[in-house]
Formats: sequence, structure tokens, C-alpha cells
Amino acid sequence: MDTITLSTEKKFTWGGGKSPFNVSYGKLMMWIFLLSDAFTFSSLLIAYGFIRTSFLSPIPNTTVKPFDHLSHTFVEDMVEKTKYFVQDHWPSPELVFNHFPFIHGIHLPLFFVSLMTFILIFSSVTMVLAVEAGHRMAKKEVSKYMLLTILGGAAFLGCQAWEWTTFIGEGARLFGNPYGPRSFAALFFIVTGFHGFHVFSGVVLNIITYVNVLKGTYEKRGHYEMVEKVGLYWHFVDLVWVFVFTFFYLL
Amino acid sequence: MIEQTEHIEHTDAPENMKGKIWRTFWILLAFTVVDILLYFMLLSTHSMWKNALFILLGVVKAFYIVGIFMHMQFERKTLMYTIILPMIFVIFFIALMIIEGDFTLTSRL
Repeated sequence: MDTITLSTEKKFTWGGGKSPFNVSYGKLMMWIFLLSDAFTFSSLLIAYGFIRTSFLSPIPNTTVKPFDHLSHTFVEDMVEKTKYFVQDHWPSPELVFNHFPFIHGIHLPLFFVSLMTFILIFSSVTMVLAVEAGHRMAKKEVSKYMLLTILGGAAFLGCQAWEWTTFIGEGARLFGNPYGPRSFAALFFIVTGFHGFHVFSGVVLNIITYVNVLKGTYEKRGHYEMVEKVGLYWHFVDLVWVFVFTFFYLL
Repeated sequence: MIEQTEHIEHTDAPENMKGKIWRTFWILLAFTVVDILLYFMLLSTHSMWKNALFILLGVVKAFYIVGIFMHMQFERKTLMYTIILPMIFVIFFIALMIIEGDFTLTSRL
């Protein structure tokens, strides 16, 4: 009997008796969930792409260069004197996101978001190293890399909180902002907020998994598959940031 | 009676996975730096080609993240197509709506 079942299994991938995808149920469902989540993010990015291109492109900046002095009334000057921020033109991201924590009064265009991107990529690397250590059942290494991933995620969330605070401090609101088109800040808050919420959930999942690693739950179970599943989610968050970064700061 | 045992199916990771991970990290870092440099080089040009270029760079980064970090390169082709095919249509949709936004702009002017 056994040999017959074995031979049909070999012939038909979809014949039953084994997973045609060659992954466990949990991992497959995580993939399917990520696909549906990707659709949600895509709808937001599609909206951004459409609204962004239905406005005129930013006015080319010829007055402020990187490392220039930044006055306290920078945004007001951009609105009233130099007229870079007007209603018909989308604002240039380099003139909006030009602050850096602890460094006041210097024009540092996109430096901070680049740092945030590096932090997130790095935490993705530590996550995949945790998964790799899980394959070798190296509990100590898994817990070390999980902790680093949690710290990276927390650092990213902190950066985002700072970015929001600065942005709101300059007068950006969900229903209006000094930079011109109203939808600019609205889209920024909704999309980065939605992404930030995902990072937050990822950090919570990572903490739960980390505690379980320390307790030895997965060692008893015989495999570290849960780390892999949480890892898939974490990489997805990083993946979304790649596109949020491209759309919001580069287009 | 078939005995119920927990069996985990997974495709084995290739040899030297650690090296692959770090190589991917440097590639992603390099692409991000290239992204930022290109942004400042093309600051005063505005065209559909520029948008296409940045989205393409994003897709290349996505390819590395999904392929190596999310282990997709080492999975079965069935799983690969299940996830990637719908996303190709989504990227097509994004491109369409960006072009559509351009038409909206011309009709507003």
C-alpha cells in the first residue's frame, strides 16, 4: 500500500497527501496574508501616485543647498518670499524633510529618512540572521539577533515619532499644511501612519517570539518555524518601506 | 491508524546562507545610496522616465528582499507564481494611475 501511495505522490503534485507548495500551512497562510496586505498598501500608493502626478511638479530649488543655514522662519519664507510652496505645485520633499535631531539650523535634505531606511534594512538583516540561526537550532544566536531586530524596530518607530512631531510642529495637519496641496500632508500621515502601525505590530510580534525563544518554547517544539513566520512579516514591513521611501521622498 | 506527527516541510537553505545575507545587505545599501544620489542629480528634471527609474530601482530592491531575505528564491515555483503574479499586475496598475494622473493634470491646466 505504502509504495503505491508514494508513487502517486511523486507523479501528481496536486494529488493530495502532501503540500504542493512544499511549505507548512502557517507559512503559506502568512504569504497569503502578506499578499493581501500588499494590496492594501498598493491602493494607498496608487492613490499617492495619481494625486502626486495630477499636480504640477515641484519648483526647481536654486536658493537652498545642503548644509546651508536654516532660519526659524524657513517654511514661512518658502511660502511668502521665495514662493516655493504654492497651491498648484507639489512641494519638493528635500525642502520639507530637511531636519535632523540635535542638529538645528542646518539644511540637511533627506538625511534623516535615509538614516531611517538604513535602520530598517539593518533590522531586516538581523531578522534573517535569526532565521538562519533557527535552522541550526542555535538558541543563543536566535535570541541575540531577535533582540537586535526589536531594537532596530523600536529605533525606527522613535525616528518616525520625531519626524511626525517636526512635521506637525511646522503646521502640517491631516486637513491642511503650509506646503501647498492639502493632500500632501494627508497622504503622508495616512501612509506613513499605516506603515508605522505595521512596524509597531511587527515589534510586538517580535517581542512575543523573543520571549518564547528565551523560554525555550521552540526548542521543545523541535523547530524555530515561528521565527521564520514572524520574519516574513518583518521583511514585508521593510519591503513596504522601500516603496513608501521611493514614492514619498524621491518621486 | 496513521500516527499524527508534526512534520515541517521546508526547502533547505543553501550553503553559505550567512554570506548571501550580508552580500544582499550591501547590495540594498548600495541601491539606497544610488537612489538618494540620483534624486539630487535629477532634482530639476521632471518626467515620466524619472518616475519609472525610481520605481524600477524600488522593484530591484524588492527582488532582493523577497528573493533572499524572504527565502522566495529557494521555494517551489508554484508558491513563487502565486505571490508574484498578482503583484506584477499591481505594479502595472500603479504605472497606469501615474500616467492617468498626468492626464488629469493636463485637463486641469
